[in-house]
Parts: sequence; structure tokens; C-alpha cells
Amino acid sequence: MTAARSMTLALSLSTLAGCATELPAAGVARGEVLYQNCSQCHGDDGYGSTLVHAPAIAGLPKWYLEAQLTNFQIGWRGAHADDVEGLKMRPMSRTIKSAADVMVVSEYVAGMPAKKSESTLHGDVAKGQAAYAVCSACHGVDGKGNEAMKAPPLTQAQDWYIVKQLGKFKGGVRGYEPKNAAAATMKDISGGIADEAAMRDLAAYIQTLPL
Amino acid sequence: MIEAFILQASSYASQIDALIWMIIVITGVWFFAAEGVFFWLIWRFRARPGGAPARYVDDPEEHALKYKWIEIPHRLILVCDVALIIGAITVWSDIKLSMPATDETVRITAQQWAWTFQHVGPDGQMDTEDDIVSIDEMHIQVGKAYKYELMAKDVLHSFSVPVFRLKQDAIPGRVITGWFKPTLVGEFDVQCAEICGIGHGIMPARLYVETPEAHAAWLASPTHYLAYQF
Ligand code: HEC
Ligand code: HEC
Ligand SMILES: [Cu+2]
Repeated sequence: MTAARSMTLALSLSTLAGCATELPAAGVARGEVLYQNCSQCHGDDGYGSTLVHAPAIAGLPKWYLEAQLTNFQIGWRGAHADDVEGLKMRPMSRTIKSAADVMVVSEYVAGMPAKKSESTLHGDVAKGQAAYAVCSACHGVDGKGNEAMKAPPLTQAQDWYIVKQLGKFKGGVRGYEPKNAAAATMKDISGGIADEAAMRDLAAYIQTLPL
Repeated sequence: MIEAFILQASSYASQIDALIWMIIVITGVWFFAAEGVFFWLIWRFRARPGGAPARYVDDPEEHALKYKWIEIPHRLILVCDVALIIGAITVWSDIKLSMPATDETVRITAQQWAWTFQHVGPDGQMDTEDDIVSIDEMHIQVGKAYKYELMAKDVLHSFSVPVFRLKQDAIPGRVITGWFKPTLVGEFDVQCAEICGIGHGIMPARLYVETPEAHAAWLASPTHYLAYQF
């Protein structure tokens, strides 16, 4: 490093030191501070935002949150040229700087109470219920997910988010990485859903399932 | 001197640096001259016991002074201005107005908050089956002249490659073309240089300028996104 460069570095470091905030060492308090990077889109309560297409994440299980944050970080999710929303989430996941902090923030989000969201797409519940039979093998009859299958709960999800994700799986925009076995499985399943109308029906039925 | 802070990695980087130096020297000389005169005058005409207060009088001696202190520097500055304008226009026309013959095209799409690079595949043609699309990483070969097509999907962004001395705004609805020719092998930073939302500050990309062999190897087994390292 030349003298000029080390001088620039020293200058910028001393500026940074001036504005560093205190980050609690661990636990919920640390999770709360880390979550400040997320609330802009996912909301203070974790219910998401229709405006920026951010899903409700409050109350999702810790194992799923950790997996998704890691997937975003390493490019297994949200690194596809056509994934408009995923490409927004990808840099955000990288604001969490260590595997330990991924766990801390996941624990915090998992501890937030989940909420049912309002219906926006008004699909056909009866048709959705029939089609959901396939899904129940992994996501459960009650839609509460199954850790052993790595399938997340769906009951808290907004209907537009479910439809969008099913479309992404079907189009190979999510689950494109063969090494990401869980998502690749879901991608294969999504191939069996006929069209967007069928996705809306599924979402309508999933919305009727209690938390 | 500038390259001690940041490498010159494109064919036109030295031209930009020369222009910046020209501006620094010309404006620097005048800055110190003007400040020097200013402080000298403050000192020279400071309040002293028994000193006579200054008055503005319209006489021939005053006119001669005005000529010496204002008109002469003014004309000299105009000459410097012309020199700067000639320098700037020459560099601008070489880099931005002219489009030299290029060897390859790369398509660059900016969006909130990622860069997508579409590289021609081994066949050298854009928009064919073997094109390689990658997120946040651009792979090019040293010594080749590239034409770029720059687009934005949502809002304004700006494609900034400091080592190339290249900065070009991306505007939704427009395809902006330009060129660069990398001259140094290495890994360099790309950054967004136009405020584009909450993720603007974390919208970097990585530029890989490769030897022909390394580039051929990448074409044969491309990466599509950067693995993240804590
Ligand atoms: C700029 C807005 C934005 C910010 C800030 C943001 N996210 Fe996201 N997040 C999104 C969007 C949009 C998606 C949906 C991506 C998709 O459609 O695949 C998402 C998806 C997710 C998912 C996947 C949810 C699921 O059901 O699979 C998790 C988990 C997540 N975000 C956690 C976080 C955390 C933790 C933070 C803070 C470090 C954060 N997000 C910050 C926009 C944001
Ligand atoms: C073979 C097991 C399996 C079946 C069957 C299955 N899924 Fe999934 N699903 C998964 C897994 C695993 C994931 C998590 C993917 C990941 O990690 O990215 C997932 C994710 C999802 C998501 C994204 C959730 C989120 O929060 O981002 C939705 C929506 C979804 N599935 C809906 C369905 C529907 C609807 C069906 C029925 C048509 C279905 N799944 C059938 C395993 C399955
Ligand atoms: Cu930008």
C-alpha cells in the first residue's frame, strides 16, 4: 500500500469511528438493532409491504429465515436477472455481516407475532382446496410447514406473494441453483400448476388456513 | 500522482487524469495568487494609529491601478479558460463523442439494486443462445475494445468504474452506448454513482479484466453470481 492510500484509509477510518453506534453483544436486543435494516420494507411489525412487494416474515420459523437469508447472501436466491424483488432483497441480506448475526436476526424475526393478511386477489377457494392436496405432503394439511422437508409455513403469507413466488419457481427465477435442493424441489412441483389463475386459487385457499 | 491513489486501467484513463491535472494546476495557481494578494492587502492596509481612511476617488492614478490589478489578471484568466475548454472538448470528443471500432459488445442493465451484465458467449454474438448473463460481475478481456449498451429498469443509476475513469448515467427507457478498452488485468470495483433508493450505497459490482486464456476459461465455465464472503 502506498503512503497516499494508507493516508486515505486512515482518514476514512477515523471518520467512521466517529459515527459508529453501539451494537448490543447478543440476543434479542442485538436482533432488534439488526432488524432496523429490514423494517423499511418488511415493516416494524414484520408484516411486509405491498408497495415494495416485501413479504410478511413475522413469526416464520428460525430455520427457514436463516436458510433464506443465507440463500440470498450466497446467490442461491435473488441472483436471477429476472427476479426484480429478489435483486432488492439480495443486497439487504448482505447487510448482515456474519453467520452468527444471521441467526440473531432470524431469532428476532421468528419471535415477532404473525398475522393473517387481507385477500387482494380473490381466487376460487374450492378449486384451490382441491389443488392444495399436492402441497399438503410438504407444507402440511394445515399449511404450517414441515422442517424435515424444509417446507415453510404459508399461512401468514400475502396472497400476491404466494402467486409471485409460484410464478418465480415455475419460471426458474427461484430455485435455479441445482445445489439448493429444497428450492429445486419446489421448482419441480410448481411445474404442475397450470397457470396464474390456478396459483390465485391456491393462494385463496391458503389464506383461509388459520395461523 | 492520481494513479498512486487509483490505478489507470483503461486506454483513456490517462487522458482524464491529464485533464484533471490541467484543471488543478490552472485553478490552483490562480487560487493561491488570489488568496495571497487578498491576505497581503489585509496586512498592508491594516488599521494603524494615525493612518488616513481609504477613499474612492476617480482620478487617472486610480485607473492605472485598476488596470494593473483587475484588467490584466482578468485577461490572463480568459486565456486559461480557453486552454481549459480546448482541453476538455478534446478529451470529451475522444471518449464520449466518438465511437471507435470495437471488438465486442457488453450489455449492462441497472436496477434496484443490482447490475446485470449480458456477455456475448463464445460465438461473439449478442442475443444468441450462448450469451452469458451474470449478476454483479462483469468479465472482459484485457486489450479488447468494448462497446457497452447501458440501460436502467426502474430509476436513474450511474455506471461508475473508477479505474477506467468512466462514469455514465443510466436512464430508464433509453439505451446509452459508449466504449472502453481495458489495459490492466485485475479485479476492480464498479459502483452506482446516482442515488437510486435505500440500496444505492450497497449496489456495487465486481469487474474482472482477464487475460485471453483466463477469459476463455471463464467463457467455458461461467459464474453467474458472486459467492458471498463474510
Ligand atoms: C428494500 C426492501 C427490503 C429490505 C430493506 C429487506 N427486505 Fe427482505 N425482502 C424484500 C423483498 C422485496 C422480498 C421478496 C423477494 C422475492 O420476491 O423473492 C424479501 C424477502 C425476504 C425473505 C424471504 C421471505 C420468505 O418467505 O421466503 C426474508 C427472510 C427477508 N426478506 C428478510 C429480511 C431481513 C432479515 C432484512 C433485514 C436485514 C430484510 N429482509 C430487508 C425486501 C426487503
Ligand atoms: C416436495 C415438497 C413440496 C411440495 C409438494 C410443495 N412444496 Fe412448496 N416449498 C417446498 C420447499 C422445500 C420450499 C422452500 C424453498 C426454498 O427454500 O427456497 C417451498 C416453498 C414454497 C413457497 C414459498 C414460500 C415463501 O415464504 O417464500 C410457496 C408459496 C410454496 N412453496 C407453495 C406451494 C404450493 C402452493 C404447493 C402445492 C402446489 C407446494 N408448495 C408444494 C416444498 C414443497
Ligand atoms: Cu443504482
